[in-house]
Amino acid sequence: MPVISLDYKDLEELSGMDKNTIIERIPMMGCDIERIEDDHIDIEFFPNRPDLYSVEGVTRAVRGFLGKESGLRQYKVTPSEIEITKDEGIDKIRPYIVSAVVRNVRFTSRSIESLMALQESMHWALGRNRKKISIGVHDLSKITPPFRYIAQDPGFKFVPLDFKEPMSMSEILEKHPKGVKFAFILEDFDKYPLILDANDKVVSFPPIINGELTRVTEETTDLLIEITGLDHAVSTALNIVVTALAERGGKIESVTINGKQAPDLEPGRMKLNSSEVEELIGLTLTDEEIISYLGKMRFGAVKSGDGIEVLIPSYRSDILHTWDLIEDIGIAYGYDKIKPELPATSAIGTAHPVSELRDSLREIMVGLGYYDVMPFTLSSERLQFELMRRDKPDGITRILYPISEDHTIVRSTILPNLLEILSINRHREQPQRIFEAGEVLVDCQNRLHLGAVAIHPQANFTEIQSVVDAVMRERGIKYWVFKGKDSAFIEGRCAEIFIKGKSTSQKSHVAHLPSGEIGVIVKEYDDNYVDVRFSNPHRIIHLHKDEVLRDDEKYKIGVFGEIHPEVISNFGMEHPVIGFELELKEYL
Amino acid sequence: MSELNLTINEKRVLQAIAKKDKIPPEELAQTSGLKIEAAMQSAFLLAEKKLSKISEEISDYYELTSEGEKYAKEGLPERQIMEYFEKNSKNEFDISLLKKIFYEYIEFGVSWLLKKRWAKIEKGKIISLIPKPNKGEDEKFIEELNKNKRIYWINVSDRDRGVVYTLEKRNLIEKFTEKKRTVSITDRGIELVNKGITIKKEIAQLTPTIIKNWKNYSPGDYRPYNIHTPVKPVYGAKIHPYQRLINDMRRIFLDMGFTEIKGDIVQSSFWNFDALFQPQDHPAREMQDTFHLDTTCDLPGQYVATVKNMHETGGDIGSTGWGGIWSEEVARKQVLRTHTTAVTIKYLAENPDPPVKAFCIDRAYRREAIDPTHTPEFEQLEGVVMDRGVSFKNLLALLTEFYHRMGFEEVRFRPGYFPYTEPSVEPEVYIESMGRWVELGGAGVFRKEVTSPLGIKYPVLAWGLGVSRVAMLRLGLKDLRELYQSDIDWLRKSPVL
Repeated sequence: MPVISLDYKDLEELSGMDKNTIIERIPMMGCDIERIEDDHIDIEFFPNRPDLYSVEGVTRAVRGFLGKESGLRQYKVTPSEIEITKDEGIDKIRPYIVSAVVRNVRFTSRSIESLMALQESMHWALGRNRKKISIGVHDLSKITPPFRYIAQDPGFKFVPLDFKEPMSMSEILEKHPKGVKFAFILEDFDKYPLILDANDKVVSFPPIINGELTRVTEETTDLLIEITGLDHAVSTALNIVVTALAERGGKIESVTINGKQAPDLEPGRMKLNSSEVEELIGLTLTDEEIISYLGKMRFGAVKSGDGIEVLIPSYRSDILHTWDLIEDIGIAYGYDKIKPELPATSAIGTAHPVSELRDSLREIMVGLGYYDVMPFTLSSERLQFELMRRDKPDGITRILYPISEDHTIVRSTILPNLLEILSINRHREQPQRIFEAGEVLVDCQNRLHLGAVAIHPQANFTEIQSVVDAVMRERGIKYWVFKGKDSAFIEGRCAEIFIKGKSTSQKSHVAHLPSGEIGVIVKEYDDNYVDVRFSNPHRIIHLHKDEVLRDDEKYKIGVFGEIHPEVISNFGMEHPVIGFELELKEYL
Repeated sequence: MSELNLTINEKRVLQAIAKKDKIPPEELAQTSGLKIEAAMQSAFLLAEKKLSKISEEISDYYELTSEGEKYAKEGLPERQIMEYFEKNSKNEFDISLLKKIFYEYIEFGVSWLLKKRWAKIEKGKIISLIPKPNKGEDEKFIEELNKNKRIYWINVSDRDRGVVYTLEKRNLIEKFTEKKRTVSITDRGIELVNKGITIKKEIAQLTPTIIKNWKNYSPGDYRPYNIHTPVKPVYGAKIHPYQRLINDMRRIFLDMGFTEIKGDIVQSSFWNFDALFQPQDHPAREMQDTFHLDTTCDLPGQYVATVKNMHETGGDIGSTGWGGIWSEEVARKQVLRTHTTAVTIKYLAENPDPPVKAFCIDRAYRREAIDPTHTPEFEQLEGVVMDRGVSFKNLLALLTEFYHRMGFEEVRFRPGYFPYTEPSVEPEVYIESMGRWVELGGAGVFRKEVTSPLGIKYPVLAWGLGVSRVAMLRLGLKDLRELYQSDIDWLRKSPVL
């Protein structure tokens, strides 16, 4: 957000108030004081108030807010003979242009700086980095009206600001610091915007750079302001600039562009009712009070029928709706004076089931001696797959323009994060046991996973198997394990965890017991029991359906075992690591 | 004084030092039948009771140098020459010949032959004076040293002291210094020993037998522990301190009657921005600030027309809108949610009937480089109340209540700006330890431009804050990364408060 430097001398001169009062009260008008220095104060104003990006704009507002003045500020616009003709060719490139003349301005180096700062802040806040709006300010005495706004070939040469030799427009985009910075705005065009005077001297190459010719100096008294852009916002921007200059004593004159006069300083109008204020803020105010508070915020306001007609200064770009006015009424009343009152709304709070599940998993894991960790979910393919010896699956959530090579995707598994944390802690005392019950993304969908790892010289398969068994037991889940094929683990020391899912294919007769024994279902009964035949030794056992897992019901939810030595080394560790990761759903 | 105050170990040590003065630790261990550490620990405890005296003595000792070791095996050079005479049954040789056999030895070998008067030199010849000289004291000392590896100066007899100096000069032995503790008994200790010490077996670890027969034992039978022995810390596993803080906040919301909501990490630009009346050319939506994905998704059909209308013309609520063209294509682009508000607004759209009191605490993502105070993902907290007749002053009361429950006693409000609330407010809390007001979170009433297109008919009071800010204040963190890439020692040592 733009930080505006306000010079105390300037501020006191323009506002007629002492700096301490201003420093004390100004935050209640809506801004953040960044720094208080001996000769100036740095204030951050909000992005919706570009009219406050100059010392002139601030004093105008402060004089109202602190009761020195009230109501709408009127500015006189005198017609001038100056004209700008806009070529049709420019419509596809940068179609909007407005302009005005301000005469009798007395510049000091400080006020030139302030004007430049206003321009820069507006380029940021309203201008979208000059793309949407760009502002040019020129010494009118150096150029001759009428002016022309045209689309010019890139080979056209002139002397840009801060340079001594002529450069072609395409050279400027390649070599001039401003050209390099803003060339992106013109990258799609084969002709560039240009403003020329009656003698074909260059005024400006918007939105890139002015000509050196029209540089504003302390001798400058009459200014030509031109604002080009992509939409109507150019008008508000012009109003902000010319009214700020008028606050310094400048006389505004209009400029005619293709028959249309600018600037238009006519206030906007909006109707407001006191009941709306009461509804939104909860304050009961009379129309007169409302009118007075609006006046403090430099609005014009009069009673009109059963409501209030509000005149909105032409430099305010933030008033879209009556609520924007009501906020200003609240600010004028003082946020510190509004009496808070609890609403009567009654409701009963409920925790989210996923949170409850995570809480329960944390309880289980902490009980088993595992520390809770909360790693980033942003990760990289290197960490997630390469270091883990795993193939890249489908459904990775990739980030378009990553900011670092460590954060190029959103993770789809938790184990790599946990190994990374162990790696960070490789000089800490062992054993270390950590876990996370956290979210991962698969096909852009959130999934809740529980992952855990342990490192110490005696860590082995049996230990992690017991932990997995404990988790499943605590959550009351019946599970089966099968030989695992996960290359992050040691072959033969890795197991995959299955539960009974919905049948996905044709009903199978192959039945698995939790013990690993495989049999064949030879008979099914109505009471949910089945007969399963086993060989070696040959026998038939009568079992409840819940005790056996049919091949077609197999649903994989996780894996556990001893991490492969290559993976351990990849993470810079030297001791055995064991771990598991489970996908959790409502059934867990 | 009663001997009952002594442990068995102390008694054993006391008996050992009563037999001999100045016992070094190794010997003490042997005599008392304890391990060295246990014996010395008891010796120190006895010293505290003024029954023993531990003195540190600095003692010099000697060891063979590598050269000395070699000669210990092969004999000194002068001895080797004499043996050569003997072996060849001669009593004279040319020096030049001997040089070829003994190389570099010959010079000091000869000089020691002369010094010891075993031989003499005449006309380039060495002539043996004693056919088979007896072993000298120096040779005996080297042999002994080779056997014992180390000989203490105090154990060197007066007769041998000169030999030691000579050997040291010859660089065959080297002097070392060591600090050595010895334990001796004091007069008080002797007095006690003279009274007689009985060593009765004390109970260390309880056993089922002892428990069953507890009546057979008296209090003195249980060996007392030194309750002041420094404790070796053990650390129990625990919930992450940051998670505990998050749980505290969840508890506050639940206590205040809010329902917890959750949502997708991947959101459409529609829910993340457009539904919140963020103009499509707003800088926050750009690649610099938001993590974009290369995927798109379908839009919620029922809201597309009303949201589009609101952006372009301000809909039917008397707003100006943003003007321009609102693009469905832009709205379809998927992003990692930049705030939990994307989740909240969707929930409100799906639950438009009042009252709604909901909260969300979850991860949000912003395209920021990592540094101590910024992380690209962080926890955000958000609460909303939607009901008939609620207003801004109710919001201020909710905020006050919420911050009080979070432990911030003093709360004040300043105007703020957030794109989707009007009025907006920045709450500040007073932090005693910092002696100043700190801005904490933001709040406001959702703009009508936000609620109206989604069919939400009543005011929505909303507030949010970055949980990590609170974590930094509460956990005294200097670097936010510590939360996500935790040092396990920090986790072990952070108290459960």
